[in-house]
Amino acid sequence: MRALVKAENLEKVYRVGKVDVPALRGVSLEVEEGELLAVMGPSGCGKSTMLHLMGGLLTPTSGRIVIDGEDLTAASDAKRTDIRRRKIGFVFQRFNLFPTLTAEGNLRLAERIHHNGADDPDRRREILRLLRLEDKMHHKPLELSGGEQQRVALARAVVTRPAIVLADEPTGNLDSENSAIVLKMFQELNYRFNQTIVMITHNPEAASVCRRIIQMRDGVIVEPHVGA
Amino acid sequence: MDSLVVSNIRQRPLRSAISVAGVALGVTLVMMFTGLARGLSNELQHRSSNVRAEIIFTRPGSIELTSTATNLSTKYVELLKKIDGVADATPVILHFYQDNSGFGFEQLEGVNWNEFAAMNGISLVEGRAPQALDEAVVDETKAKKKHPVGSTLKLLGDKPYRVVGIFRPESGSRVKLTLESMQNALEASDKCTYILVKCKNPADQIAVAKRIDAELPGNKVQFTSDVFTSIEKTVPSLQIFLRVLVVLAAVVSALVVMLAMYTTITERTREIGILKAMGASRGYIVGEIEREALVISAMGLIVGFVFAIGAGALIQRTYGLFFEFGGLWALTAGAIGLAGGAVGALYPAMRAANLDPVEALLHE
Repeated sequence: MRALVKAENLEKVYRVGKVDVPALRGVSLEVEEGELLAVMGPSGCGKSTMLHLMGGLLTPTSGRIVIDGEDLTAASDAKRTDIRRRKIGFVFQRFNLFPTLTAEGNLRLAERIHHNGADDPDRRREILRLLRLEDKMHHKPLELSGGEQQRVALARAVVTRPAIVLADEPTGNLDSENSAIVLKMFQELNYRFNQTIVMITHNPEAASVCRRIIQMRDGVIVEPHVGA
Repeated sequence: MDSLVVSNIRQRPLRSAISVAGVALGVTLVMMFTGLARGLSNELQHRSSNVRAEIIFTRPGSIELTSTATNLSTKYVELLKKIDGVADATPVILHFYQDNSGFGFEQLEGVNWNEFAAMNGISLVEGRAPQALDEAVVDETKAKKKHPVGSTLKLLGDKPYRVVGIFRPESGSRVKLTLESMQNALEASDKCTYILVKCKNPADQIAVAKRIDAELPGNKVQFTSDVFTSIEKTVPSLQIFLRVLVVLAAVVSALVVMLAMYTTITERTREIGILKAMGASRGYIVGEIEREALVISAMGLIVGFVFAIGAGALIQRTYGLFFEFGGLWALTAGAIGLAGGAVGALYPAMRAANLDPVEALLHE
């Protein structure tokens, strides 16, 4: 299996006023294609920073990060945006759907951004069917439950066939029942489409569906890695 | 249409309406002021073109835009008739008076009706020529505004004048009294404002004018085409005023759209962060915001045009001001509305495109 994500000695330091705050202190990590990986750790351990670096939303202070063969480290903002558009899908804790668009509209927007305007209704319907959202296509987010909104967010993240899905606390705002449904969807996508997923989470149940779990503390990966 | 642009406009109806109104205001201002200037100018020219005399003989400074002097002796009439090339000459008193319609003032002429009508090809379509000191004739446009034959006009300090006839075509002032009546009212006996001179051969008017100037020096000899000219020539600063107005309208539209888009961006910071996380480029984000601004501007254009045409028609019917909306000015107003909106949205759009995606995603 080839490594889709290669992170080498990643460091990230935030400048807060006159103080330097290190968020990552030399993280090295590889994520293989088709892997469902959980990253756990207490608040402030650097999980989100690492996710944002993987997604090209941040640039590291030092170190190197390669996504599906493309080096994000030295890339310009425009290049990182391009890589993110083509290769990365995001799922957020707060769903982050566009409230003025329907479920299908949110997916269509992702397609428009990805394909520069092109439309793929078959792919959309396939994803919505897989995530059991066929009868919710024309509903706006406010008309959906939390679990349904997160499934729409997941559908939006995968409709463009990204190389990797980065999920930031995807069950953080859900009750246990909806959490279980959403986690099952992550597993389905990983199993049926070999979708590579990196999920950061506090939730042991969320981590338990993943094949590999990484623990982080104080900006480093704590040994040993725990396999699911 | 499940479009981010349309759905955002619909989600904030009051702000969208205010933005549309701001653009519409700029468009309406341009359309109405230019329409009014064109309407008045063309109307004045139309009436002036029916004055068939080629030459005006007067004292220097007698005729200004809104005032006249009655200081020319009528003895010049006979002197002018004797000059080679002159077919006829007739005196006219031109006076401005306050009126409740239009701009608040109107023109009034005192003429020897038979000579004046024969010289300028005017005829009475109803009634008869004025004879008594308290009689007047009006043109058809004036007659339609509740001044038919038999009605009373209040002129020259609220004095009543009975309308005894209606003439056609429109020529010079809309209301004409007898020359004697005007001389009495203005206490200027044997005086007039100017004398209209008809040439035997219109092609010789320049030569005739030179002869008049040579034989009757110290007076002003002009061609009627120069005197009764368009408002733009009479008020050269009008064009400058219109251009300044156009610029102001563009600035108003741009500022309104800028403010609306800036507020929109601030409210939608997290949405912009989501777009960036989804891989939307800076160009895409700028494009979305500009599209929204252009849709609002286009709506403002339509509202502005409709309002300008409606308001123009209403004002024309109520106050008698003439509006004439030109294609070129309509295009200018349209371009201003769209360009103002596009330019106004540019700064907020660039700001949005340069937001830090992580900070934007954390924005409440």
